[in-house]
Amino acid sequence: MSDMILYFIVQTGFVILAAPLVNGIIKKIKALSQKRTGAPVLQMYYDLFKLFKKTSVVSDVSSWIFRVTPYIVFATAVAAAMIVPVTTLIKPVWNTGDVILLVYILALGRFFMMLAALDTGSTFGGMGASREAMISALIEPSILVSLITVGLIAKSTAVFPIMTFMQTVQNPLIHPVYLMIFCALLIVIIAETSRIPVDDPSTHLELTMVHEAMLLEYSGRSLALMELAAAIKQLVFITLLVNLFLPHDQLIGIHGIAAIGISLLIYLAKVFIAALLIGIVEVNTVKLRLFSIPNLAALSFILSFIGFLQFFAFGG
Amino acid sequence: MTAIEINKKLIENFGDDIIKTVKAYENELYLEIKPDRIRELSGYINHEMGYPLVSMFANDETSLIGKYAVYYAFADRVSGILLILKIGIEPEQMTFESIAGKVHAAARYEREIKDLFGLNPVGHPNAKRLVFHGNWPRETFPLRKAYDLKHRPDFAKEKINFSKVISAGVFEIPVGPVHAGIIEPGHFRFSVAGEPIINLEAQLYFVHKGIEKLCEGESLEKCLFVAERISGDESFTNAYAYCQAIEKIAGLKIPERAEYIRVVFAELERLTSHLGDLGGICTDVAYGFAASQFKMMRGWAYGIADELCGMRFLRGVNRLGGVRKDFVAGKEASLIRQLKKIRSEFEETEVIIKANSFFIDRVENTGILSAQIAADLNAVGPPARAAGIRSDVRKSFPNRVYRQLSFAIPEHHNGDVNCRMNVKIEECYQAIDLMLAAIDSMPAGRIRESITTVAPYQFAFGMTEAPRGENIHWVMTGENNTIFRYKIRTPSFCNWPALCHAVKGNLVPDFPLINKSFNLSYAGNDL
Repeated sequence: MSDMILYFIVQTGFVILAAPLVNGIIKKIKALSQKRTGAPVLQMYYDLFKLFKKTSVVSDVSSWIFRVTPYIVFATAVAAAMIVPVTTLIKPVWNTGDVILLVYILALGRFFMMLAALDTGSTFGGMGASREAMISALIEPSILVSLITVGLIAKSTAVFPIMTFMQTVQNPLIHPVYLMIFCALLIVIIAETSRIPVDDPSTHLELTMVHEAMLLEYSGRSLALMELAAAIKQLVFITLLVNLFLPHDQLIGIHGIAAIGISLLIYLAKVFIAALLIGIVEVNTVKLRLFSIPNLAALSFILSFIGFLQFFAFGG
Repeated sequence: MTAIEINKKLIENFGDDIIKTVKAYENELYLEIKPDRIRELSGYINHEMGYPLVSMFANDETSLIGKYAVYYAFADRVSGILLILKIGIEPEQMTFESIAGKVHAAARYEREIKDLFGLNPVGHPNAKRLVFHGNWPRETFPLRKAYDLKHRPDFAKEKINFSKVISAGVFEIPVGPVHAGIIEPGHFRFSVAGEPIINLEAQLYFVHKGIEKLCEGESLEKCLFVAERISGDESFTNAYAYCQAIEKIAGLKIPERAEYIRVVFAELERLTSHLGDLGGICTDVAYGFAASQFKMMRGWAYGIADELCGMRFLRGVNRLGGVRKDFVAGKEASLIRQLKKIRSEFEETEVIIKANSFFIDRVENTGILSAQIAADLNAVGPPARAAGIRSDVRKSFPNRVYRQLSFAIPEHHNGDVNCRMNVKIEECYQAIDLMLAAIDSMPAGRIRESITTVAPYQFAFGMTEAPRGENIHWVMTGENNTIFRYKIRTPSFCNWPALCHAVKGNLVPDFPLINKSFNLSYAGNDL
């Protein structure tokens, strides 16, 4: 029982609190590459704090969908965070969910986000929604094939057993199957979290936006929820990536609360490395032409599919 | 061909239509012709002789000759001669034959004349309003002399009609006039089929300030300050063109040192502008590293401007007859050092961005402006040079200094964002080299001649190569050293329609990139 409460606290509280930090780190890396000091790493916390205090302005022509969407998007992001464990040392008593649930619970949030973007009838919301629909449809096969391949090796589709299994694999990244899946998932993360080269999170050009275009009509608390949900979703994907392919829980010899603490610290260090990686990709690439995104999605799918075939050819 | 030969050739072919030779400078030839023959003549000049229409404007000369006049300026860019046709329009008639069917570049000028003077172009294919939106009353024509500048017309309520593309699955995207970034106002109406753009119509003139009317009756000195404020980042070149026109009317030859100093500033303005554009292109494809490199170098260039004249936007440098102060004297060493610093940083950045295949993929074959369209619309400046048109005022209408300094017009042919970017990159090097050469070969001496009295009702063109391209000002003086008519034609006026053509077939998210590669001024177009 106590494990369950601990799991609950870590998976929601810890992830929600840590999520904006990732954005701060990526922004800092970009600023340093441009010889700027840049905003503080904690800037997103200040922004969210400010936004939560502000009132929301809602368009007269919008329906209830526009108003409930921030809550749905936030709830789905937190639910997704519940599924992906940040450490395998805390054992939940029940099965927390499988990879298919993970993918589609996030899709539910996205579905409502697209509806809300269309709801206000603004020009850019519609454009953002249609682009988001295109990108997510293209990226979905690759994420499913990736996760199911790992699931096949671990002989489970539930996320927790897969992750526990992966803790026993020595250096997964020297194994071709895992390397392929790792690269495929990295592309998925970039696409799912609206980063360069798929989308530009810091653009002011309304005609080029994807994710930002859908948020244009939001303000105040609703905007804060949407932004925080996006950050949580980003951290969930990063957690998936680092905990699957850079396992560390086996390395800790001790048990108990101290072990969990050390595990979380190592986890944060891994998140930092992943943020560094994403930041470096952002600095060195430019935004792709919109109709070149299918090529990137295809690359991701091919990588995951090669991984999938390798599993059948050579085993896990 | 000299002006005399051009005159002879036209008299041979159209002897009966030419009423008289109005006036002639060394490189400007004014011919008054019969109004009903303008279409044939302009068609002949544009197509047979190959001279593009570079400016066109009306003038209320009812107080002088009892008529309105319309001037058509064609440029012989090979031998550097402007051929200007003039027609007179009787006040009771108020119409003139449209040449837009033969000379496409005339279409926008004729709409402008219609809005500002109420002279109707007969036979214009699409003579809808250009300068004024629905809130300006019809039958109110501010550039007629009878219109009082202080008069405030009532608001009219008329809807703007945009060209519609009607088909299944075709949508309209209205963008602006207020944009997400800090930029000038302009409304863009896209007709799109999904993401590809079928048609783009730009509604400009949100910042129409009536500059041309404002200058009328004001002193020549005062109008110099207005010229400096036409468009924020083209202060120097506009003042330069204005000064050239006045100096030409006054028959004044400015001191050589002043001419050199002007060239240094003109090139500095070009360097600053191009660095800003290159940074903008990188920003629009989310290439943050390169963008901040260019912005940093632009800051350095602004620093040079500040050091030379105490004004980063180069206002207050020009005076009629020369320059205000000897801005360069004593600062040569520091100037050379800073220019070399920019040059070496620029070289490094160029290597990095050209090695980035993601970046090159974005700019290549995006927003192609074909040579044909560029020629038809008389596109100027970097967009025209990127499309293979060799037009540069510094070569075709050079002053003494540009004639002495050696430089080459960048040659590109594809007309896409990549070519426009490369033209700007090459011109950055060129600007630095020209500045260094000018500092090196600058003679000592006076920096200003004084202008006392200028004869009334004289007129001349002043031309400069602004960072955005060919910049043409026409001035007609009035009594007591005042302006009678000031026609400003900035490069942006020519390039806006070219932009609308270049985006066709491209994706909506590529529009900001294409727009940035043209880098057009709204203030310079709206006047």
